Amino acid sequence: MFVLENVSYSYEENVALQGVTVTIERGESVCLLGPNGCGKSTFLRLLCGVIAPDGGTYAFDGWSVTRKSLADNKAAKAFHQRVGFVFQNSDTQLFCADVYEEVAFGPRQMGLGEDEVERRVTDCLRLLGLQDFARRSPYHLSGGEKRKTAIAAMLAMNPDALVLDEPMNGLDPKTERWLAGFLLELHSAGKTLITSTHDLELAQEISRRSILFDGNHTIAADLPTNLLMRDMSLLRRVNLVDRYYHQHRDGGHTHFHTHPLQRESPEISGDISDSEED
Amino acid sequence: MPEWLLQSENYAPRADKDTFLSKSILALLGLISKIRAQDTAAAPTRYAVNPFFKLVFTLTLAVLVSLTREFAFLFAALTYVLLYLCVQPIRTLRRVLATGAAVTAFTFVILLPTALGGNGYSLTMMPVKVFTAVTAVNLLSHTSRWSELLSALKRFRAPDMLVFVLDITIRYIVMLGETTLESLYALKLRSVGRNTRKYNALSGVAGSLFLRSRQMAEDTHSAMLCRGFTGEYRVYQKFSFTLGDAGYILVNAGLILLYIYITRDANAGIG
Repeated sequence: MFVLENVSYSYEENVALQGVTVTIERGESVCLLGPNGCGKSTFLRLLCGVIAPDGGTYAFDGWSVTRKSLADNKAAKAFHQRVGFVFQNSDTQLFCADVYEEVAFGPRQMGLGEDEVERRVTDCLRLLGLQDFARRSPYHLSGGEKRKTAIAAMLAMNPDALVLDEPMNGLDPKTERWLAGFLLELHSAGKTLITSTHDLELAQEISRRSILFDGNHTIAADLPTNLLMRDMSLLRRVNLVDRYYHQHRDGGHTHFHTHPLQRESPEISGDISDSEED
Repeated sequence: MPEWLLQSENYAPRADKDTFLSKSILALLGLISKIRAQDTAAAPTRYAVNPFFKLVFTLTLAVLVSLTREFAFLFAALTYVLLYLCVQPIRTLRRVLATGAAVTAFTFVILLPTALGGNGYSLTMMPVKVFTAVTAVNLLSHTSRWSELLSALKRFRAPDMLVFVLDITIRYIVMLGETTLESLYALKLRSVGRNTRKYNALSGVAGSLFLRSRQMAEDTHSAMLCRGFTGEYRVYQKFSFTLGDAGYILVNAGLILLYIYITRDANAGIG
């Protein structure tokens, strides 16, 4: 579905991506991991056609994504309908008078009849638990509700692929859990999911494959998520975890955690294996 | 999951014109990168010139160039400006020259009728004056950070609050530009069909930006209060003097002396 070969991108003189080669198949759920400023967001923007590569090639279902092809109004609109993007800051994504109008914006753009628009909006609001907010201004919603509205607005266009830029940022734990479950449901429904995150547990939960970016704006690893999580030295090298971060296995369930209060403790600060057991 | 969400969408968009959106995005990108480039200008070196001296002498040069009626001084000033321009990076050189050339060409066209009236002096003098003054000011802008120039204003006894307002405005223009850009990107990504009410969507973006900027302004003010802001703002700066400053002052003082000498000489000739 997404085929990128040796792609590079720079903001003026600052390199954001270099030598990126990735293929993402239809129906996959992929997590992008990496420290701040490693190029994850730029990569997602590139996938969605917000920007075009400076070097290398990018093709979406065989359609070459370049500055020139994105200038072709009709083809670009078809592409944008198929790849939905949820911005890191939901505030910037919401510009309609109320939540209903926000979710209806996409379907109306697509020229759907008002009955179909209403059906889609009602379904999306129900899916995301926003029924009671339909006539509220997005500006007055909480962070979690804004994120849900942004997702609903994207879902109403029924894209094939969903690209989410750090979707858990600023959410409370309950909404986080709910959203992780919802993303899994969407994936089971056949949607391709591409999610950037710093949250290793989320990555394990929602994706089988993870792409790790490093500080050089290149791909440091492209591995099954469970394998990547075992490579603690790599995760440490790219600053995703510190040396106190380790795994415990509890009844078949593996989770990561730190012991921040025992930082100076010799037992902890000593040799920590990649996968410890309680 | 509703049925429609489980099926692949069979959608063929109709063509629509949205050049206004693309142009707005490009214009904003240009503005933001220009301001960013300003902010990330090279760090001061041993030979860097204090922005205060640059500001004083650039303004003085612009005034002297405007006042002079002597080609000798004008060409001396032009030579100095061109030499200064030559030691700039190629990118700065191109930008400064492009602006100078455009403004000079415009002045030349405006003054062309005076040549028909027999006033060849103005036609030669004015474009050179405009080019010299505009290039000098442009060089000042390209070789100094705006924040440094604002601090230099302090030496002219500009009120602290004025400096603060200008300083914070420049900083927040970038933030506002970035937020606007994100909103325009979102609008572009969601405009997947024919939109007959484009300006309604754009006014929605403007409205939400206004609300957010008000919120951010309130938050910034609250943060300042929490950090002890009492309504007074003082600009603190260390005054340094380098070899670069000495050279810069010497050259510019020479130019001022040359102006005085040439003007006095010319006046004596007239007398």
